[in-house]
Amino acid sequence: MRQRAIWSAVLVVGLALAGCGSASDSGKSTSSDGKLVVWDWKSGEPFAKSYLDKAKADFKKKHPDVEVEFVAQPFDQYYTLLGAAIQSGKGPDVMMFNGGGQIRDRVDALVPITEYVAEDKQRLAGWEAFSKDGKIYATPVTLQGYPIYYNKTIYQKANLDPASPATTWDKFVADCDAIAKAGSKCFALGNKEGVGIQFWMSSMGSTTLTAAEYDAWIAGKRDWNSPNVKRLFQLWKETGDKKMNSDGANSTAMFNDSFAYFQSGKAAHVMGLMSDVGHWQDFNEFLTPEKLGVMKAPVVTAGTTPSLPYDGGIGYAVAKWTKDPKMAADLARSLSSADALKSFYADAGAIAADTTIDVSQAGPAVATIVGELKSGKPALHVALSSKTIDLMGRLSQQLLSGSITVDEVVKQLAASDQAG
Amino acid sequence: MPIGNTQPSVRPASAGRAGGAAVSPAAHRSGARPRRTRGGLRAERYAPYILVLPAVLIIVLLRLYPLLLGVNFSFTGDGAQNGTSVGFGNYRELFGDPLFRTALSNVGLLVLLLPVAVAIPGLLATFIYLRVPGHRFYRSVYFFPAVLSPVIVGAIFNLLLAFDGPLNAVLGSFGVGPVDWLGDPDIAMFMVVGVHIWATFGMALVVFLAGFATLDAALLDAARVDGASLRQVVWHVIIPSLARTIQFVFVTTMIGMLTSMFGLLFVMTSGGPEGSTYLPEYYIWIQQGQMNRPALASAASTILFMIMLVVGLLQIKLLERSGKED
Repeated sequence: MRQRAIWSAVLVVGLALAGCGSASDSGKSTSSDGKLVVWDWKSGEPFAKSYLDKAKADFKKKHPDVEVEFVAQPFDQYYTLLGAAIQSGKGPDVMMFNGGGQIRDRVDALVPITEYVAEDKQRLAGWEAFSKDGKIYATPVTLQGYPIYYNKTIYQKANLDPASPATTWDKFVADCDAIAKAGSKCFALGNKEGVGIQFWMSSMGSTTLTAAEYDAWIAGKRDWNSPNVKRLFQLWKETGDKKMNSDGANSTAMFNDSFAYFQSGKAAHVMGLMSDVGHWQDFNEFLTPEKLGVMKAPVVTAGTTPSLPYDGGIGYAVAKWTKDPKMAADLARSLSSADALKSFYADAGAIAADTTIDVSQAGPAVATIVGELKSGKPALHVALSSKTIDLMGRLSQQLLSGSITVDEVVKQLAASDQAG
Repeated sequence: MPIGNTQPSVRPASAGRAGGAAVSPAAHRSGARPRRTRGGLRAERYAPYILVLPAVLIIVLLRLYPLLLGVNFSFTGDGAQNGTSVGFGNYRELFGDPLFRTALSNVGLLVLLLPVAVAIPGLLATFIYLRVPGHRFYRSVYFFPAVLSPVIVGAIFNLLLAFDGPLNAVLGSFGVGPVDWLGDPDIAMFMVVGVHIWATFGMALVVFLAGFATLDAALLDAARVDGASLRQVVWHVIIPSLARTIQFVFVTTMIGMLTSMFGLLFVMTSGGPEGSTYLPEYYIWIQQGQMNRPALASAASTILFMIMLVVGLLQIKLLERSGKED
């Protein structure tokens, strides 16, 4: 009995000490030689199978002896788990990222892969969202953009021409009056998470800011006091005050309550996405491709030209603790190879980063979107830090409820933007 | 359980057991000594420590050590300053952040609402105890929500409280305009707390009913014979007799409110609208997971820990005092 107690004590101490030792062992990859570990939140889903098979086959051609393991993490905890991995300096060799703030906040843990991806630069679009200070950190897989979708049936009901939606803001507001008289809302809006304002800012950005202001914004020189920037927030408030949005926007989840609202024909427009969710393929469940239109942003500031706001959506980056960055970068490149991306577009319903893919089968909305990629620009909100975006979400809710002024909003955002 | 020197004679030292080589010299030494009983006594003296060692180690290594690490981490920086000491910088930032102040003031609101959260199951249990018509039915029905997960409860109430949901439809039929239950910053927190109380009062109700089981029925009868009204019975007989039960429910309800609202918040409001329903837990989660600010999150955790410590100590004091009164 006593001996047993001693034994179990020895065992527990031994285990505990072993646990201690490995916890402080930092800066290593979890994988052994000849194996790469990939983290993402897509590989567990059925649609990803053919994509992954093709990517793996492409990688096998370059590194036949290297095994690749995909670990699918739940998306809502992905960055929490990744944060823990980064903190301990141990984790996957290659990992999936959302473009923009999510990857830029974490470049300390990544290897720049600029030199490895030189060959792909022409074929793929969306690099900007995965770059910081001129260095590229991930290969884009999909493009994420913020087109304005509209329901052609509602346009017909309101005696508007579905083939030519409004091109100026004033005409748009007039159209929305007609739509309201026909019994529908103008916008399906979900701003519970504070995401609505991000889509708004990016969708309306190209026609509200001048081209020079737009480029300066993306380059990091943001003048929050410019009248056009204020105008963005004034219009947001105006759509709320004029009851153009669906009711209870601040308590409606964008994913997917507001999209369901649009899809079920209760609202004429929605600022949606072009990949993953809330997009053409999702809507097609109830809105057939002929009924779904994509319009350019109506012009707010005279002299501006509408352009599609888009960035790299998701991409694969290489961790700085991986043993062979070149090999890991090769895997990231294989995950963006032409064949693999073709499968991703077809199976997942995403606009892939490879703009040479033929999308003519998917309906007029997709064709419009892809046609606009050439003249498209990076989205305004993607250039902001996660902290500023989070603050903007809360301020946008206050604008809708009327408890804050536009001047105060831009003041707070400017302070947050300059601090971060 | 027979321990001590009767055992070794029946079962010799386990030197021969598989894998025992590492400790066998020690075992031999103690076994080979001529004055075996003394060695046995010494081992016996250590036995309790060895027996509690696993538990102590688990607490020290898995609880206290990470706790100290977290506190230590809260004094370091994030991002580029990772690992360097920033003194009280994180704490200054926290108290400068209106969102964190909202989270703290919401904790205060929870404390203020605590009497309501205790009174509801208390009153309902009283009615059941006094055998209102249908009390058997209510007794089982009241407990139902306690077995639902917060996520399911949150999803149900999301539907019920939606702007175009059934509750507003019912109000509309009475001519009352729709209320944005979860979209109005002045209302949302009360709705979430209300749903939390709805979801968890079943457990407190059971505790109250158990307390009632110990109530002296003769006292109640005597009060009735003396012509006491219901209000007088509750105030002068039931509440004094149940003092300890009430205190216990206070303690457990407080802990429940401070530690298990995350699921509801996450599903029902995501901390919104306008950040009005943030609680420290949710703030910690956002900073660590979404903002990549683990050090700041550590500082917020440390503050939450201090709050819980104070609340916990106060409650222990309270329980001790009521124990003495008995």
